[in-house]
Amino acid sequence: MRFLLVDEILALAPGQRIRATKTMDPGDELFQDHFPGFPVVPGVLLTEMMAQAAGKCLAAEGAGRGWPMLAKITSASFREWVKPGEVCEIEAWIRSSRAQFATADCRVEVSGRLVAESSLLFSFVPRDRFAAEWRDEVLERFQTKAGG
Amino acid sequence: MTTQEATRWIAGLFQESADSIAPETPRDAVAAWDSLGELTLMADMDEKFSIVLTDTQLKAMTKVGDILQVLRENGKLTD
Repeated sequence: MRFLLVDEILALAPGQRIRATKTMDPGDELFQDHFPGFPVVPGVLLTEMMAQAAGKCLAAEGAGRGWPMLAKITSASFREWVKPGEVCEIEAWIRSSRAQFATADCRVEVSGRLVAESSLLFSFVPRDRFAAEWRDEVLERFQTKAGG
Repeated sequence: MTTQEATRWIAGLFQESADSIAPETPRDAVAAWDSLGELTLMADMDEKFSIVLTDTQLKAMTKVGDILQVLRENGKLTD
């Protein structure tokens, strides 16, 4: 599977808040193992959804401090099973944002029900560590749509 | 916040038991006081006390008492 845990950004206030969605494909082979006959989205992937959404919110600031990388899961809880095919609505609020770090409070809802929440800490990796041609397609798609 | 309360807070921050941390405890004796520990310390100092630590301050910290000293200098300790 690709490790793209945000399908679409719905709303974005750079460096402050983001709303996004992700729907896991029921045909994804990970569900053969997690779990046989009882497919549910792993908590680590729900956490990654929140981290990627918050990361895009930070990256959209364009503060020139590098790309946000998850450094610590300060807390995380998973309240309900999420089935593949269900639309995960991800929301993240940036709590603090400095040159060296940022923190975010995040949650995932399915059909209005809270299924997961987390508090995350990010550090920043210089952009030149990544492939020069790499772009965040999801973020760029939203920015293009919002700008045009 | 008293010095004792602050010391307990530092112990929690670095996932140590309260009785294993004292002002004279060296950084080397605190397993979680690594680069991630520095980030956690910076974030908590900022969010809980509105203290923005500089890289110079971070690098100069060699024991628990140095963290307490920063809190003291910023008027966050009551004793």
